[in-house]
Amino acid sequence: MEEKIICSMNGVAIYGIISICIFVTFFTGMLLWAFTKKANYLDKMGKLPLDSGETHSNDQSNAK
Amino acid sequence: MNIETFKYDNRIVRAFAIATVIWGIVGMLVGLLAAVELFFPGANLNFQFITFGRIRPLHTNAVIFAFVGNGMFMGIYYSLQRLCKARLFSDVLSWFHFWGWQTIIVAAAITLPLGFTTSKEYAELEWPIKVAIAVVWVAFAVNLFGTIVKRREKHMYVAIWFYISTVVTITVLHVTNSMVMPAGLFKSYSMYAGVQDALVQWWYGHNAVAFFLTTPYLGLMYYFLPKAANRPVFSYRLSIIHFWALVFLYIWAGPHHLLYTALPDWAQSLGMVFSLMLIAPSWGGMLNGLLTLRGAWDKVRQDPMLKFMVAAVTAYGMSTLEGPLMSIKTVNSLTHYTDWTIAHAHGGALGWNGFLTFSMLYYLFPRLYKTQLWSNKLANYHFWIGMLGMIFYIVPIYVAGITETLMWKEFNKDGFLQYPNFLESMVQVVPMLRLRSIGGTLYLIGVFMMAYNLYRTAKAGQFEPDTEAQAPALEKTAQPHGKYSFHRFLEGTPMFFTVLAIVAILVGGMVEIIPLYLIKENVPTIASVKPYTPLEVLGRDLYIREGCLGCHSQMIRPFRSETERYGEYSKAGEFVYDHPFLWGSERKGPDLAREGGKYPAAWHYNHMDDPRSTSPGSIMPRYSWLLTQTLDRDALPSRLAALRRVGVPYPAGYENGPAQKDMDAQAAKIVADLKLGSVTCAPDKEIVGLIAYLQRLGTDIKSAPVTTAAK
Repeated sequence: MEEKIICSMNGVAIYGIISICIFVTFFTGMLLWAFTKKANYLDKMGKLPLDSGETHSNDQSNAK
Repeated sequence: MNIETFKYDNRIVRAFAIATVIWGIVGMLVGLLAAVELFFPGANLNFQFITFGRIRPLHTNAVIFAFVGNGMFMGIYYSLQRLCKARLFSDVLSWFHFWGWQTIIVAAAITLPLGFTTSKEYAELEWPIKVAIAVVWVAFAVNLFGTIVKRREKHMYVAIWFYISTVVTITVLHVTNSMVMPAGLFKSYSMYAGVQDALVQWWYGHNAVAFFLTTPYLGLMYYFLPKAANRPVFSYRLSIIHFWALVFLYIWAGPHHLLYTALPDWAQSLGMVFSLMLIAPSWGGMLNGLLTLRGAWDKVRQDPMLKFMVAAVTAYGMSTLEGPLMSIKTVNSLTHYTDWTIAHAHGGALGWNGFLTFSMLYYLFPRLYKTQLWSNKLANYHFWIGMLGMIFYIVPIYVAGITETLMWKEFNKDGFLQYPNFLESMVQVVPMLRLRSIGGTLYLIGVFMMAYNLYRTAKAGQFEPDTEAQAPALEKTAQPHGKYSFHRFLEGTPMFFTVLAIVAILVGGMVEIIPLYLIKENVPTIASVKPYTPLEVLGRDLYIREGCLGCHSQMIRPFRSETERYGEYSKAGEFVYDHPFLWGSERKGPDLAREGGKYPAAWHYNHMDDPRSTSPGSIMPRYSWLLTQTLDRDALPSRLAALRRVGVPYPAGYENGPAQKDMDAQAAKIVADLKLGSVTCAPDKEIVGLIAYLQRLGTDIKSAPVTTAAK
């Protein structure tokens, strides 16, 4: 039955080809992009949540 | 530099936090009741509103949308303000969001026990509530984007990316899967039928897990873990890759919920391959979280909040390894329809979502109330009882799942099924179901301990409604240092970023959904498959109302063990009039796809009155109210008209007279059949409609030789 569906679907092979093209393009682009980031930028971004700008920080530990 | 002073809104965070705790307890209590009903079917006290079929969706909706939903909004509203260095965009919108969401939850808690359900998993709520969800979600989206736009921090931290992807993807999913045709205020039929409906539903269902239970919580992990450990995330570069790979891959994986069903094979393979690839970003994320704690593991020993966080991230890793493995077709042929799936789901829910939520609550309460946690000791006890609860929940259910699948597939040396009666497998796993409920109870006790601890913390402290903060105003510079940077442009321009994120998630959706419409023209129709009769339509609606599909599948997979037990495997063409599809995802009772004609009408009557009278040892609850309640015949015209609008070929005007005549004739025939079994029943009772539907199931291709013809 599955074969019938696939055979009767005009140009179904194109979806496989399109998928693989999108996939390869996307991941190549993303990896290139991620690995060309400057170290100081990444450091800065990583530290971003640590400064919340609170004037009277009450970031005490939970320990009692 | 122009330093601005402003205030973070803590009230809305506290409101969502309290709602999280309350709905968590409610959702888990309902889950516990459902678990008990599975081994003690009388636990509903013969009260129809709390039967398993009706409270199962209540439990899943409560823990997903009420517990995790509120937890997500709590964490997002707290972290978003601090990451953007700005108060939330609009206090009015925040409170509209809060009260709107709570109203939706209450509406769900009322309508689901009443049996108002679409039957589509995690999307059961009827159309007026679906509309309300869309409105409240838009308010949340406006508040989120508004806050991002007015931020004082130039860069968007990766957590915000995860929040944005959540908002846009849930919007797309909710709208696509909610396409229904109303038939009255509390009834609707899916626009899609059969195979298409199944694919859309599990594209939604899977991505609800991805973009409601995973991406927002990953964002929260990327905020709260570094905060609690007081050190930056292990690798920000890895977090970028984690984000883009995850949102791109996740959306493709939905069809793994439909392996070996009547869904076309290419869609199944696509789902399987992308599921396997998901291991990479998921584990990248998990390792990124755990490695953030390198050199700080002593803090984990001291701080219960970090203990919960580490266990949650580890559970995330385990679930995201197990999920892809379960998507391998061969493995799935063993796990699907068994308790294994329930164990997998709860590994994620109890471990990842539950523990991460507890972690955030333990972090937030002392800070919101400017004090310390009332008792670290009690929080530690919570951690260990929670862990123990998880183990007692999950391990017995794994054993149950494996037992079920082995018993269903076992043949004796003569080539016959070793356990031809499905019930034998259920009787076998009852002890495991009992153990599971003990595990659930332990976990819930832990939540009560947390609630008390948080209450005492709040009492001991002084709530700070607003936290004052200072930050320089964001200067509008085109490009820093005059250098073009695509990345900075991207994350400095939230709208463009959002568009790109939508494209990433839509690519997978489109590649699956475009062929979906093509399949519509290509599902081989089976000449003998006809629309349901009026009485069967009403009977099918009762099947949906009672949540029968929570335990009974209607999808025979092409395995010898299944065709021997249930009959011919299910074909795509058999479901062309099924609005919605009712394939189910779990078997606590036998498959019903070929139930029609297996038993006389009187058997069904007696079975519904007391399942143990016909099937000793059965774990099915009694449905005696079906024998006394009158079938809602007045609803027929609007329902037939709605079904015609979604494509079922009932003749024009059929619902105004001819349908009622056909219904009377069929009801009279069933009453006569019942008489043969010494049962006297009025033709207008609900049980007559349900019997009509059950006796129809799978008979279309039994009555005539299968002839397939392309449309």
